[in-house]
Amino acid sequence: MSLARARLATRFAPRLFPTARTTSVASTLIARRLISTSPCSHAHHAHAHPTAPPKLESHLEERMKDIEHLQMEGFRGAPQDWEKGPSALDKAVHLFFFTEIIRGMWIVLENFFRPPYTIMYPFEKGPLSPRFRGEHALRRYPSGEERCIACKLCEAICPAQAITIESEAREDGSRKTTKYDIDMTKCIYCGFCQEACPVDAIVETQNQEFSVETREELLYNKEKLLSNGDRAEAEIAANLHADHVYR
Amino acid sequence: MSTRTFHATGQRLVRQLRRTHSSCGPRHYTTDSPVGLPDPAAYCRDLVRKHDYDSFLVAQFYPKPKQDAYFAIKAFSVELALVPDTVSNTVIGQMRMQFWRDAVKGIGAGRPPKHPIALALYQASETANLPPYHFKRIVDARDAELQAPSHLTVDTLTSHAESTSSTVLYLLLSLLGLPSSTLAHAASHLGVAHTFSTLLRALPYHAKKGQMVIPAEITAKHSVNQEEVFRRGPNAPGIDDAVFEFATVANDHLITARDMFKSDGMGGLVPPATLPVFLSAVPTANYLGRLEKANFNAFEPGLQLRDWKLPWQLWRSYYRRKF
Repeated sequence: MSLARARLATRFAPRLFPTARTTSVASTLIARRLISTSPCSHAHHAHAHPTAPPKLESHLEERMKDIEHLQMEGFRGAPQDWEKGPSALDKAVHLFFFTEIIRGMWIVLENFFRPPYTIMYPFEKGPLSPRFRGEHALRRYPSGEERCIACKLCEAICPAQAITIESEAREDGSRKTTKYDIDMTKCIYCGFCQEACPVDAIVETQNQEFSVETREELLYNKEKLLSNGDRAEAEIAANLHADHVYR
Repeated sequence: MSTRTFHATGQRLVRQLRRTHSSCGPRHYTTDSPVGLPDPAAYCRDLVRKHDYDSFLVAQFYPKPKQDAYFAIKAFSVELALVPDTVSNTVIGQMRMQFWRDAVKGIGAGRPPKHPIALALYQASETANLPPYHFKRIVDARDAELQAPSHLTVDTLTSHAESTSSTVLYLLLSLLGLPSSTLAHAASHLGVAHTFSTLLRALPYHAKKGQMVIPAEITAKHSVNQEEVFRRGPNAPGIDDAVFEFATVANDHLITARDMFKSDGMGGLVPPATLPVFLSAVPTANYLGRLEKANFNAFEPGLQLRDWKLPWQLWRSYYRRKF
């Protein structure tokens, strides 16, 4: 039985069967009260009917007892005496705040003996995946020759159109780039250029710290990219090796 | 001179050596070898040694003048097989395939692109008759693989294997100048067995990437749930049976290739001239044998390692002219 229906029954029960001494007048009054929605406002009609004063009782105590009982049953459990003992505020201060402080200090004490979580950033660095895509570089063969053959696949695939290539044919019939520019302000670091490159010439190194002071410095040319590659060659080769799989 | 002074002198020398090394110039290369465009053969050898060690071992049994061409063909195959792993997008892979299609065309026309593998293939095609048709077939098969990495039936996978591994073996046969229909037939079966065993070996790798290499026909027969394989690996129900059936198909192809030499009056012995080509069956047989010992659990970590007995098995196979 739900709580709402129980309360409804307790409200109506004393009105429908108030007492055993109900008279006919009382029954008409009951009828009237049933029609009206207000609970009970005009209980005393002694002045209207002085001869036979109807005795109307509200039975408030009984009804409240029922209600209290139901409430206790519903969400309190056993009744408690809140009059004695400390107040809620006292308890909160003594119980919650104090233990909270102790617990907080315990955590501080624990971490005092642990190695620190923070790393001293410019000197210490967090781990990076071998597939991390950072600043670009152009690689060379171990013999020192440029890998890039000016096939322009990276230029074609670049979704941000950040790469610009101009090439020329050399005397031995090979093609080499005369201009290989990357606009680092346009680049979205998707890595498509290194995926498309058939000779593994353009790669994205793990360097993520290349902030500069002016915008022009972010427009990389071929010399800059080649020097990046020379600087990071060992690292790039190690990453490529870490990533390879036999198929 | 006491030991202590000697020690101190040694330390000073080491320090001097370090100083000279760190200031040797503005540019630092990992090595000073001519590997690269001046020596494409060395580049191919390095690539094969790194990515396909079994083939690197087999190379020792080829005649010395043919070894560079062998490495060129194998490096071409490795390079194309690596493309699906390096690209995240089919279109990029297709662009690289187009590069290789153009490269094959350029090699035929005498204008190879300045790619070490292409240059090595060009040098090889000058010394031996390597039909460009075979190269084109490999590129086309790898291109198709990019778009449909998993196969529904064993037949489609077999035809894919014939276009890749078997075609490499045809190229190696023509490198040795031995065109023969019996040999080509044996090579075709051997290539299929090789591809299947390679796929089985790479099953954990592909499962990690969410790809099923065993044809759906076989997995469906043993009611293998692909998602279960990706998540639970060897504990997926039915995967052992599917691996067993797939490995059996590979082994059948290997046996068929062996039987080719029993007919034609060869008495089960491989002709000495063609022996190096068919030695590539030894790593395949070795893997299948180890898989059997592991009770067809393809996820067994030991199966991913190289077998230390492989060089010995190769030599014994070479000596007995059997595979």
